[in-house]
Amino acid sequence: MKIRFQLAAAAVIAALSASPSHAADTIKIGVDGPFTGGSSSMGVSMRDGVLLAIKEINAKGGVLGRKLEPVLRDDEAKNERGVQIAQELIEREKVVATVGYINTGVALASQRFFQEAKIPVINNVATGTAITQQFADQPTRFVFRNSARDAIQAPMIASEAIDKRGFKKVAILADTTNYGKLGKDDLVKALAAKGITPVAIEQFNIGDVDMTAQLLRAKSAQAEAILTYGIGPELAQIANGMAKINWKKPMIGSWTLSMANFIETADKNSEGARMPQTFIQEPNTQRRKAFIDAYVKEYKPKNGIMPSPVSAAQGYDSIFLLAAAITQAKSTDGDKIREALENLNAKVDGVVTTYDHPFSAADHDAITDNIPVMGEVKGGRVVYAYQADAEKGSDIRLKKKK
Amino acid sequence: MDILLQLAISGAIVGMIYAVIAFGYQLTFATSGTLNFGQGEALMLGALVGLSVFNAGISYWWVLPIASVFGALQGFFVEWVGVRPAMKIKSEFGWIMSTIALAIIFKNVAENIWGRDDLRFPSPLSDTPITFGDAYIDPMGLAVIGGAVVIMLAVEAFNRFTILGKAVVATANDRDAAGLMGINTRWVIALSYALSSLTAAFAGVLIAPVTLTGARMGASLGLKAFAVAIIGGLSSGFGAVIGGLILGIAEKVTGFYLSTGYTDVPGLLLLLLVLIIRPAGLLGKTTIKKV
Repeated sequence: MKIRFQLAAAAVIAALSASPSHAADTIKIGVDGPFTGGSSSMGVSMRDGVLLAIKEINAKGGVLGRKLEPVLRDDEAKNERGVQIAQELIEREKVVATVGYINTGVALASQRFFQEAKIPVINNVATGTAITQQFADQPTRFVFRNSARDAIQAPMIASEAIDKRGFKKVAILADTTNYGKLGKDDLVKALAAKGITPVAIEQFNIGDVDMTAQLLRAKSAQAEAILTYGIGPELAQIANGMAKINWKKPMIGSWTLSMANFIETADKNSEGARMPQTFIQEPNTQRRKAFIDAYVKEYKPKNGIMPSPVSAAQGYDSIFLLAAAITQAKSTDGDKIREALENLNAKVDGVVTTYDHPFSAADHDAITDNIPVMGEVKGGRVVYAYQADAEKGSDIRLKKKK
Repeated sequence: MDILLQLAISGAIVGMIYAVIAFGYQLTFATSGTLNFGQGEALMLGALVGLSVFNAGISYWWVLPIASVFGALQGFFVEWVGVRPAMKIKSEFGWIMSTIALAIIFKNVAENIWGRDDLRFPSPLSDTPITFGDAYIDPMGLAVIGGAVVIMLAVEAFNRFTILGKAVVATANDRDAAGLMGINTRWVIALSYALSSLTAAFAGVLIAPVTLTGARMGASLGLKAFAVAIIGGLSSGFGAVIGGLILGIAEKVTGFYLSTGYTDVPGLLLLLLVLIIRPAGLLGKTTIKKV
């Protein structure tokens, strides 16, 4: 007991004496995402976007005269890994803030530790609507987001299928993860608002390699389109499965239909799939061109196509938002950074949009429903689905004011 | 009707994959009374080695024999490291632990060599589906069914018509008597492990274009095939085929008529039922263990 007390005291003294001098060196930022496994094309692109932004900021002297230091952790898209990493980032790495989270389930499981420790988190990819609502009952909330939440994406998917393409009978195929289940609920709600009940709602598991039963149910219910909520590998099995039973219907789904492992694995079966995108790899502004060129030069993606352009762009922007908040707070204190994020005075020039007061105390989502556009898989990459959007691609879509 | 036919076809493809792996379980069980619980991993290694060979520019049809040879070597290795020591000390359960341990090691090695992502194995055949009555079957699916039948017939022919194969059968019938007749039963057991991993590796290359290739592809297939081996009977090659088809088709039919959330349930219910009613399996021979 005595020894343990002495050890603890020694540790406290060491921490007290070490942290100020150490903190003066760098500002540590946790970066958490799945860098391996089925979600890795999103995780790796997000990480690379984050690293690119950090490199640019450090080249200009960093923030508050200090360099940003990323602490990279692979959560393997597993909830329990995410929890361990959150604790490690807070307790051992003593990060100032954390960006990342690709998988809604991992985000929901992990971010409570940051909320308790009063350390801001910017979700830059995960889209589950619940993510920014998780601590709605608490006076201050530390979870922010700059990705398009499902409550935005689902109505876009529904409107694309029902209003624009004129389908009356649609089937929903969603996976059994938190992401798929919550997304499916949002989709059912969005369709109900248009007076449409899906003719079939089917589930599949991560790792399923045969979708025949699901697709046949959709087929015998005479579905005219398949609406999806899943991730790359299984989405590819759906596209390939339709080819196998010679029943090809349009796929419209959440933004994950832009994942490289979907497009690569489904190959020509992925053609024509449509999904909401906050960012299309199209150098239509100088800012975007500089970002895309730097990314391609630094990470040399296959054929010059980013594995997940949306993740890379949102990852990149999340760091600039955070840097702006730390600059405004003139401090690395979590609570002061939160306050600064909720009342960001400087306009942040990102690649998705230009952020003008992106957050408030009540609203922790930077993206509103006017920002995403419909993307379409064409020739192995994601392009604008509508010519009109492509032509106006260089107009920056700003967040709607209430 | 076309729906049922379509379900039967895709169920049969999956079922034949289960059957080939289950067949591998039977081969080693017959000679030594032991099983390789890393059968799914043998399949996974075969597929990944096959993918690397394929990417080196070798034609798909040559990849099959190359991966099979690799599988055979891997089977020898498993027997040598995992099973022989346990048999030597007449341990009842040592081989269970050691084959599971080896399976985990193989999976980790594969993760480190090929990464944790699922990789695409390009299909050597056209992916335009063939009309089959009112249903469709993709050419690679047909190749899976055909290949599975061929490899099982080949192993059966080997056992029946070659002197080595006859030694395998003799060992399977009565290990002690075979030993007294001058058959090196230890070598025969090693051979049966090689044959069993060979079939698994062959199956791996065969199904890779249909599924995806990755370090985690073996685990659930190995487990389902184990259920098939129990359902069909551990001593009947034909039982493996029947068991595979029953499980494969049951999964698809339940998925369609009940709910796609319950596809795994019927197989396991069937497994429990068989264990209660016919513990030796649908086509297995009941053996009396004399104590």
